[in-house]
Amino acid sequence: MTGPALSTHSALELEDVDFSYAARSNGINGALYKDFSLRIEQGSMVTIMGASGAGKSTLGRIMAGILTPQKGRVQRSPDFTRPSDLVYLDQHPMNGVFPWQTVLENVRYPLEKLNWEGPRRRDRICYLMTLFRLSALSDVYPAQLSGGELQRLALSRCLSCKPKLVILDEPFSALDGKVKAEITSALHELALKDRMTLVLITHNVSDALALGMRCIIIAKRPVRVMSDLDFHLGFPREESTPDYDAMQQALINGIRDGLV
Amino acid sequence: MDWFRRNWRGLSFVGGLIGVWALVAALRLVDPIILPAPWSVARAVPGMLRERLLADIGMTLGRVLTALVVACVFGIPVGLFLGYRQRAYKVVEGPLHALRSVPASALFPLFLIVAGVGETSIVALAAYPSLLVILVNAVSGAALANQSRLYQARLLNLNSWHTVSDVLFYEALPSIFDGIRTAVSYSLVLVVAVEMFIGLGERGLGRGIYLYQSSYRIPETYGAIMIAGMIGILLNWVVTKAQNRMLRWLPNVREEQ
Repeated sequence: MTGPALSTHSALELEDVDFSYAARSNGINGALYKDFSLRIEQGSMVTIMGASGAGKSTLGRIMAGILTPQKGRVQRSPDFTRPSDLVYLDQHPMNGVFPWQTVLENVRYPLEKLNWEGPRRRDRICYLMTLFRLSALSDVYPAQLSGGELQRLALSRCLSCKPKLVILDEPFSALDGKVKAEITSALHELALKDRMTLVLITHNVSDALALGMRCIIIAKRPVRVMSDLDFHLGFPREESTPDYDAMQQALINGIRDGLV
Repeated sequence: MDWFRRNWRGLSFVGGLIGVWALVAALRLVDPIILPAPWSVARAVPGMLRERLLADIGMTLGRVLTALVVACVFGIPVGLFLGYRQRAYKVVEGPLHALRSVPASALFPLFLIVAGVGETSIVALAAYPSLLVILVNAVSGAALANQSRLYQARLLNLNSWHTVSDVLFYEALPSIFDGIRTAVSYSLVLVVAVEMFIGLGERGLGRGIYLYQSSYRIPETYGAIMIAGMIGILLNWVVTKAQNRMLRWLPNVREEQ
């Protein structure tokens, strides 16, 4: 690939990206993204926020290489040698699993295909199934799982092969508070352990606060970065502490600016 | 007994129909040459089975099943491949639909010329539309495959073979089963019709029905027709069982019990 080299600590860089969908039936046809640039640092946990319809999922798909921008560059870190180093998890967890495989088969399949052998594979499966509390469900088909269980399965499947950058699209929508907290802490543990870079797409302030070290708020037409906030606050994050409240207020302000 | 409890509505409807039939026959409302009584049909069946019908049933079933196996063995892989390689499908799409529009029975003389007078022609005739319908269903099932799952196949660096066998096959399976269902009725209809009117081979349910009718053995004719119907029901039941088993992972499909 030609062009300026990637900064050393970047996991992913978007540079002057233009993107628009082919003619939409509602007549809105302008560029969705125009000269959009963004840098994701290695090892960071970034949240992308924006109102519904702002193009968050589109951004996730551009970053993952599922959508190709009409102009501009999307550069991955040269450390990403395999396609599976950068994964995108769809916001519908059923799309992230193979419904014809049981829970266990779903977690095992990516490892099998990437030639993880013997005890290494067994340990990884065991670790994930325990972390996401799926062990008791190993022989169940995805269609028989509850929403929270299915989300946990989709996450453990997409994280099984230790990707270096993970883009999660609304992983907590449709989950209640308790399940959300469990999954958040599991994700946090895994991100640190595997040194994953995490990009979380959400429209929910508390989801953004649960994991984000940096929060990017985007506004639409054309999409631009409204605010880019850094959060310095340890984990696990306690709600209703002065620091948390300050962060929350900053986020809400950022979103309000984005809407005007 | 569980089975009985689940199916009593259907059973009582069938029972009611037979009751009306018996009543019509008992009151002699219809000439027995046109509609014989249920009991004379029932009395005729054991004799028919001894006489020739068991061999007929075996023959017809054999032909239908061979046709279906041939249709699946060629239709499913080719359909999946065409669904995977959309560009190849675009090339053959037109001719394929043109072929599908030709009534299969109209092609029978051609099959006779190509394959000669014999079993091959009968099986080929039944296999031909079955193959096309299974193929087209496999194509459309594969073409509608979930894009996110195909993306996962790319992430895992799956080769074409594994993408088709591990992802597309399952994505298309519900649609393939719809095709097989249609193919079952095509095959049965065509095999019985050919046996009836084209004197290939001396055996087959169609032949049996025809011979009984032409010798005015009306209760036997009815009996043979009903047996043909039951074979249709049986084949459908087998396909449903296989479908429930192979698609037990689909939402809303559960194995019984």
